[in-house]
Amino acid sequence: MSSEALIRTTDLRKTYVTEAIETPALNGVDLELHEGEFTAVAGPSGSGKSTLLHLLGGLDRPTTGEIYLEGQAMSGLSKDQLARLRLTSIGFVFQAYNLIPVLTVLENTAFVLELQGIVRSERIERARKILGELGIEEYADQYPNRISGGQQQRVAVARAVVSEPSIVLADEPTANLDTATSLDLIDLMRRLNEGKGATFFFATHDTRLLDRVNRLITLVDGRIAKDDVRDTA
Amino acid sequence: MKAALRHLKRNRGRTILTLLAVLIPVYFIVFMFGFASANLSDMFETATRLDAGHFQIRHEAVRGLGSAIPLIQDPDAALAVVDATEGVEWRTVRLDLPALASVDDRSQTVYVQGVIPEEIAPISAIGELIVEGTYLTTGQDGVVIGEELAGLLKLAVGDEMVLLGAHPEAGIGVLKVPVVGIYNAPAAELGRTVVHATLETARRLARTPGAATAIVGRIEEVSGPWNADRIETVTSGFADGLPAGLEVLGWEELAPQVAAYLRVMVPMLWVFAGVFFALGALVVVNTLYLSVMERTRELGLILSLGATRWRVMRTILVEAALIAVAGAVYGAVAGVAVIWIIEAFGGIPIWGSAVQFMKAVGLNPVLHLRASASQVLLAAASMVAVAVLAAWFPAYRASKLEPVEAMRYVE
Repeated sequence: MSSEALIRTTDLRKTYVTEAIETPALNGVDLELHEGEFTAVAGPSGSGKSTLLHLLGGLDRPTTGEIYLEGQAMSGLSKDQLARLRLTSIGFVFQAYNLIPVLTVLENTAFVLELQGIVRSERIERARKILGELGIEEYADQYPNRISGGQQQRVAVARAVVSEPSIVLADEPTANLDTATSLDLIDLMRRLNEGKGATFFFATHDTRLLDRVNRLITLVDGRIAKDDVRDTA
Repeated sequence: MKAALRHLKRNRGRTILTLLAVLIPVYFIVFMFGFASANLSDMFETATRLDAGHFQIRHEAVRGLGSAIPLIQDPDAALAVVDATEGVEWRTVRLDLPALASVDDRSQTVYVQGVIPEEIAPISAIGELIVEGTYLTTGQDGVVIGEELAGLLKLAVGDEMVLLGAHPEAGIGVLKVPVVGIYNAPAAELGRTVVHATLETARRLARTPGAATAIVGRIEEVSGPWNADRIETVTSGFADGLPAGLEVLGWEELAPQVAAYLRVMVPMLWVFAGVFFALGALVVVNTLYLSVMERTRELGLILSLGATRWRVMRTILVEAALIAVAGAVYGAVAGVAVIWIIEAFGGIPIWGSAVQFMKAVGLNPVLHLRASASQVLLAAASMVAVAVLAAWFPAYRASKLEPVEAMRYVE
């Protein structure tokens, strides 16, 4: 890990407190993620995968420790500054697709660009382009409930990458998909990683996806138990 | 905007409920304004057409003379000023003075109104209420009395009565005058006390040739108290040009009971409007809050993608504004339409004993509903503002969602 890290965490800890019961989710995670990586964090349920993803995405704040995104410490940012950071630097793919039901596929894809204040003509052009690259342009005018789960997750990926963020964080992106659709989606994300240099970080225990990543981090009880960098294709 | 419209369409039931929560108050308020305006108009017309007029010019020394109004020695100078002013629809000169009417050993205190018979009709219906004899004509030496006074003094047309006029400025005057007509008064008090005589006769009784007590007038394009500004504008146009010692009294001073009623009624109207607004606002808060709860997942997603909290608030407020504007427009149109339909059928007839009174004083015993554009706009705009304000709470709650919690809510 010699180059400048895209994301770096130092002694990252997160403890959930409910009714005086403290539940540690992360117990000191030191991690570096680099541009162009196709990385997954795996581990049993409750190991802290989703918590780590949420912290890296600025969706939640650590109890202690620090996260640096492109060298910038996230702990000092206000809620609106964090929102801005998510908008410009991070793409999200969720397990349940989470498309906005009243927007068409094209509008869902362009939604992040709209939040960024990009003019309509440009955001439509860019959204159409990415939908074309992902092979779902024909559904551009459909509403999410009119297309399959696999197609919806492709739209979610399109939305995550359309603004060319620094990193795409994906939380169990294949959990709701059948094998063939999962493999298709994994291929698609791999192509985006190799072809466009998009950086992906997954939280998953789907072996089909774990087999395709070039770095696998294993979390156990909120700590990194293993960090394997491997050669995959 | 497009997304907001689609949200509203998706939750049709709730949208219709929220729409009704805005529409119904606006409809009722517009109708209530229309009804209140009709009522006020009726009261205003009754007050200003029974003696008072829209304005009167009197001598300033009005106080301290008991029931007597001070004399204007040269009303023609004031008349010239009034006649030179644009916007005065009608005016006449009147001389009112208290007197004692007597026949043999019977007597009754009365109020003699010296009028120009050909001019007095706009503020007096007595000419149309004659049941015996005739009304006055200029130059005629005689009086018109009510049936009640005729009964008290045992008078018939052609009989003579003695009038003993008493005015602090003119002293005591006595006249023997024939009764030329008897009128059927709409109210017994009126019939017992009001005696019409020609201006010349009243001047002789007051022993002041050329004098008057008031110049009474009406202003063009005045249909109710809402046109008070117009009365004020026109009268202030001639007030400064009047001979020294004369002043202009507006309708509020001439009909203080109507002015007092207005002062109570207008705030009451707004209290009722406020109740309607509050009920509408409660429904708006409730439905939008439910909407926010149901959309926790979606709002959390929008926040997680990088939307600012203001953006999320705006999403809810835009939806509220769209419903509010649509509801207000439909409500206003419905209110105006109902008023229009009622008017197309001739208004709302008044029932009960008031009918005879209104007919007797020359008024139409039908309420004509009236909603001005400014009232309709005010009702609609106020409800839109209330609805958007009511939406602020659910919008604020939406903006305060934590993305992770909202996403967990999803899961």
